[in-house]
Amino acid sequence: MERMEIKLTVNGRKHTLYVSPDRTLLEVLREELNLIGTKKGCDDSNCGVCTVLMDGLAVKSCTILIPQANGHSITTIEGLEREDSLHPLQQSFIDHFAVQCGFCTPGMILTAKAILDENPMATEEDIREGLHGNICRCIGYKKVVESIEAVRDGEYKESCGEV
Amino acid sequence: MRFDKYFEPTTVEECCSILKEFGSDAKILAGGTDVVPRLKNKIWRPKAIVGISKLPDIDTIAVQKDHLVLGAGARLRKISLEKSLEKDYKVIMEAAGNVSSMQIRNVATIGGNACNASPSADAIQGLITMGAIAVITGPEGTREVAIEDFFTGPGTTVLNAGEFLLRFKVPAPKPGTGAIYKKFAIRGDTDISIVGVGCRLTLQKDGTIEEACISLAAVAPKPMRAIEAEKLLIGKKLTTELVEQVGEAAANSCSPITDQRATAEYRKEMIRVWTRHAVEEAEVRAKSKLNEN
Repeated sequence: MERMEIKLTVNGRKHTLYVSPDRTLLEVLREELNLIGTKKGCDDSNCGVCTVLMDGLAVKSCTILIPQANGHSITTIEGLEREDSLHPLQQSFIDHFAVQCGFCTPGMILTAKAILDENPMATEEDIREGLHGNICRCIGYKKVVESIEAVRDGEYKESCGEV
Repeated sequence: MRFDKYFEPTTVEECCSILKEFGSDAKILAGGTDVVPRLKNKIWRPKAIVGISKLPDIDTIAVQKDHLVLGAGARLRKISLEKSLEKDYKVIMEAAGNVSSMQIRNVATIGGNACNASPSADAIQGLITMGAIAVITGPEGTREVAIEDFFTGPGTTVLNAGEFLLRFKVPAPKPGTGAIYKKFAIRGDTDISIVGVGCRLTLQKDGTIEEACISLAAVAPKPMRAIEAEKLLIGKKLTTELVEQVGEAAANSCSPITDQRATAEYRKEMIRVWTRHAVEEAEVRAKSKLNEN
């Protein structure tokens, strides 16, 4: 099939790619740009491990055709880390033991970022509602919610800078 | 997943000519949350995919004097958070906000929810409850269809080959109107509805019901109105007995199936219960509207 030109800004870097339009954003991120922090789980938009931010909004990259992402700005888990520190959400997930096998974690953290970016005062209910589309099958959700609440409450501002 | 061509028309005319050329071999892509899984699972094997996101005003959400315009490509999450809808079109926000997860609502569209024509679809319930009109365009020109006539069965609509959905027009509610959509599912929004009930009531100043609309989801081959239940309400004031009768009538009017989510008997019982809740809460909202005016 004929390839098409796709322009993507991923984690602040501009890319021009020539890819077949029947590929998904997830495939392009993992296979063309080698950003394998974004995981492939159900590949059917149920589990949420493939969550990335598109223009700041959380989306499931496994069900986005690459032309739909053309011209948009994408943030993956690789884009959160600072030069000398982790992102507050990453550090908080570690400190609160919100990770067991870790497969759902990149998606959880990006969804968490979308929730807090939109509403820095998100309540526990808001956080749980926002996380509905992310499924974890080992650690559960309690520690995840606690990690996000800790960042919301400003516990990581000093160590990691602004959220 | 494989298709031969991807198009992104920028005018309605261009879109029509592509659809005409490919006929049933073309599929429209709006948010893609239903289309892409179907392509992946090879349920659909179209030759061409037509992305409609570049069509002019396709994602419009505009409150006008006597109606609301919702472009077919308006994102569900945007609709569910749109403050300008809060006053007159709250039920449309609620129904759109009941679809799946945040990630899906960020890309899924109201037009896609309609064209997918699932009997259990939530977002369109807001449109049915408010009596929306679908604006369809195609090779023969543009036509308008009442939303409840838009669906012909599970997954099928009145759209002919070459036609596509442009937008919805939702008439502004009369004074004293309250509407609500109640979804019943085990895991909340993320889950597919076991049943859903939408209700709109218009009250006269003394509380007599002037107009009533009850819409049911996931209990028939397509979204349906509970006409018999509506008739019971007209010209009366709401009482506990009347609410019971209306719930009963709604349950008797539907024809659910048994599937992995619930049995037919359970669904009927839940229609009785949730119709009661929906009617009572719609009346509360209608009364508060009366007091506003």
